[in-house]
Amino acid sequence: MIIGKRLVISALLLALVQIGFLSWIIAGRAAILRNGKEVLLKIEPVDPRDLLRGDYIILGYEISRIPVKMTANIPPDKFSSDDNSIVVRLKKGADNYWQPTTAWFGKAPTLAAADEADILGHVAEGWDLRGEEATIAPDYGIERFYLPEGEGMAIQNDMRVRPFGIRLALAGDGTAQIKALVDGDKTLFEEPLY
Amino acid sequence: MAGYSSRVRADIARWLQAGLIDAATADSLSRDVEANERKSLSFGSILAMMAAVLFGAAILIFVAANWDAIPRLARVAALFAVILGGYVGGAVLKARDHAAIGEALWIVAAAAFGGSIVLIGQMYHLSGDEASALVTWGAGTALAAVALRSNPLTMASVGIADAWLFLKGFDYYSRSEFPHAFLIMAIVLFAVSFWTRSRAARHLIILSVLFYLVLLVTNHDTLQVAIPLVVVSALLFAASVFAPDPVDRVVQLGGRLPLHALLGFLAGLAMIQFELADKSTYESGFAIASVVALAGIVAAVVLAGRESRGLRWLAYLGFAFELAIIYVVTLQSMLDTAGFFLAAAVLLGILAIVIIRVEKRMKGPDAKGATA
Repeated sequence: MIIGKRLVISALLLALVQIGFLSWIIAGRAAILRNGKEVLLKIEPVDPRDLLRGDYIILGYEISRIPVKMTANIPPDKFSSDDNSIVVRLKKGADNYWQPTTAWFGKAPTLAAADEADILGHVAEGWDLRGEEATIAPDYGIERFYLPEGEGMAIQNDMRVRPFGIRLALAGDGTAQIKALVDGDKTLFEEPLY
Repeated sequence: MAGYSSRVRADIARWLQAGLIDAATADSLSRDVEANERKSLSFGSILAMMAAVLFGAAILIFVAANWDAIPRLARVAALFAVILGGYVGGAVLKARDHAAIGEALWIVAAAAFGGSIVLIGQMYHLSGDEASALVTWGAGTALAAVALRSNPLTMASVGIADAWLFLKGFDYYSRSEFPHAFLIMAIVLFAVSFWTRSRAARHLIILSVLFYLVLLVTNHDTLQVAIPLVVVSALLFAASVFAPDPVDRVVQLGGRLPLHALLGFLAGLAMIQFELADKSTYESGFAIASVVALAGIVAAVVLAGRESRGLRWLAYLGFAFELAIIYVVTLQSMLDTAGFFLAAAVLLGILAIVIIRVEKRMKGPDAKGATA
């Protein structure tokens, strides 16, 4: 029976470890939502055929394509990108939407000013860094928006007519967390903390 | 099976009472019965496992539907409750001699862990790829397998690792590098399988590594992968045939290592043959590979065919494949359709004669041994 008791205890510990791990992820995300710096980004029209996949829509942003010229710290002997992180500095525009100003591979050398914010992304290997018009396509972990089943179609149709936005919360290290889907001035889906 | 073991246990108690055996013997006998009972799969435990897998799939699909009638915090709480109840309840049941249902509950709990990862991704709109979610899920399941010493959970984590390999290997956008990390997963899970006494997981891992190598060939230079595979397989085969007991004590595959080695050997040679088929008219590489393959098949049947029916049939399959590929590569251009049918008939005839003759020779002494 001792073996049985030990088995039950290890099962209990295991369950607590797994639940603790999941709660830790939730707590981290909720902390970004609660404390993060708020930023509004315009969603770019995505090819409608790609828009709906299952129960989420795919989002494209202005910062989903960063001109290589905007990237400040590319070594002169570098011809294509490594698998690397990228920091993009955003500045608030007159229309309340934020626009990219500069980008760095790795870490940003300076702190963002009060009306600026840094967003952390990831660049895959092999993007051309030498072309005149070359752009790289980082992803930021915010390229999906999950919707309740069946509501994707209406939003997809509206998005083709007028611009939509995404309100983000940015953690100190630039990790982005989607806060709300915005239609002009109207907030469509606001995310609760939990 | 349970009927048999309970009958034996009753017998042991009777023998003990009658003074035929002493208490120590009775104890070790009933422990042996118990140990072997766990290995056998009863119909009931298979049904329980199928029910668990269906239940797990239901959890995952329910989460994917993103049904907003239930607040998501309630959904999270429900999944956490399934994790806790599944692991602990399963452990209680297993401790009380309901091993099959206990293991099934553990599978449900592991599925709920995966479902929670999906749900959290949905709650916070995380667009990280499915592959990394699978890694987290697989790691959690492997941890559960270690903590609970569970064979089905080990199988489940191998299955999740395979799903990851599949997802990465067939990533047509090829945003990611080739999933070499699978080898690390395979090694870790192989080590885990000794602790969890999961022979089935070891078999599955070996087959998965072969699948990994096949994928690797599509991305890399064929011969660099295939030739080492052939050599290593041949060495493993030799080791497992000439020193079966020590080798099986290490790998604990129930004496089936020769089967895997032969499969690896044939897969490696098939890769080489496909690679060299185009050059077969002016280079001898294809012919050499074919000769090696045929010689290997014959050697395998002669050396290990008697012990293993499975190995013989794998050898026949390999033989049929060799006949087909040699025919296609060397003769195809010279014969028309009628000739193809004729050739196919002749080849199948040869195959049938070989199988019948070998089976007769292999069976003869066995049958005598059984009657003697």
